[in-house]
Amino acid sequence: MSPMKLCVPGERLCSTEDCIPGTGTYLRHGYIFASLAGYVLRKNEGEELPVMSVVKETETQLLPDVGAIVTCKVTSINPRFAKVHILYVGSTPLKDRFRGTIRKEDVRATEKDKVETYKSFRPGDIVLAKVISLGDVQSNYLLTTAENELGVVVAHSEAGAQMVPVSWCEMQCPRTHAKEFRKVARVQPEYLQA
Amino acid sequence: MAGIELLSDQGYRLDGRKATELRKVQARMGVFGQADGSAYLEQGNTKVLAVVYGPHEVRGARSKILYDRAVINCQYSMATFSTAERKRRPHGDRKSSEMSLHLKQTFEAAVLTQLYPRSQIDIYVKILQADGGNYSACVNAATLAVIDAGIPMRDYVCACTAGFVDDTPLADLCHAEESGGGTSLAVALLPRGGQIALLQMDARLHQDHLDTLMEAAMTACKGVSKVLDEVVRQHLQEMSILTGE
Repeated sequence: MSPMKLCVPGERLCSTEDCIPGTGTYLRHGYIFASLAGYVLRKNEGEELPVMSVVKETETQLLPDVGAIVTCKVTSINPRFAKVHILYVGSTPLKDRFRGTIRKEDVRATEKDKVETYKSFRPGDIVLAKVISLGDVQSNYLLTTAENELGVVVAHSEAGAQMVPVSWCEMQCPRTHAKEFRKVARVQPEYLQA
Repeated sequence: MAGIELLSDQGYRLDGRKATELRKVQARMGVFGQADGSAYLEQGNTKVLAVVYGPHEVRGARSKILYDRAVINCQYSMATFSTAERKRRPHGDRKSSEMSLHLKQTFEAAVLTQLYPRSQIDIYVKILQADGGNYSACVNAATLAVIDAGIPMRDYVCACTAGFVDDTPLADLCHAEESGGGTSLAVALLPRGGQIALLQMDARLHQDHLDTLMEAAMTACKGVSKVLDEVVRQHLQEMSILTGE
């Protein structure tokens, strides 16, 4: 990696006429400056100007953003909402947990008034959800599962076995064959991690 | 001035430095595994440890959350064995709280906090040995720790003190010079842009001398920034060797 250029925070990289600022950089007085210590990366992404970014060896901390698909674990439920811990943003694991809520109205897109949270999630379930808002004074991250691809991906039955989805709203225990209600996600191959 | 002579007739100071000479600065980044970023810095006999956590979810009072940027939380403490006389309270006294506040203001000016709304960045600094210039050593160590944590910054923040004795500005005061009763000016500088993040002076100084003193302090800051720059570059190089290229 020796031919790659090292840079330190505050170093001037180039003018905005030559490049588009990417991650790890900031703009000032028409110039691109580095904001991280790392390597300078110039990438052409189809546009006229290459994107200038600074990369570090170790992944920097990521925060859940509006529109991001997150993987979370349900910690508690009540009739109005389910509380979750966000574990992954996209496919990057978070260093520490962020709390989020899935409100009853955001569980599914249709028949919102008939949703019952305990028929959609149970504590311990692993859920795919999308961030709709960063929340306000009272709440944390607000998440939604109102899409076919979003919802419960891993759930355990009362007997403790991992359940198999049988429809979009039911999962079955392979040991006792008991059915339990869940808001099941139709997992898309692109969300599956290698 | 009564008692000791801070600047000899030959222009040498108590520890044998010239008026504009800095103390030896040595530093290392990434000294701890569990923290997101850490650094150890020696500025002469002043030794500091800085640790950075974050950005993470805001802990404690929810009212602290800022909706457009990250909250910076600083804690300054001194080890009980850091001074000649044993310290009773390592942190939480008036002096430490003031220092914490100053560090917070300094880093709010330098860190690109708007990239991490509704989160918190913790910066903890501990003085292991105090020999003057505690604030500046803390700022320099914390800068390295923030860089190690991969938190975006506008620029380095470099800090240095300067004093004024016999119409001569002295750079980077040691404890004996600081406690001599003269003026001491602390400056935290973003060296490339030349912006001042913090400026502090506790004693009286004639206005005519302020410019020369400021000039001396800023030159000293730039000297410190060169050392920090080398440390960061060396650390990056070591890291790339370790990760096996």
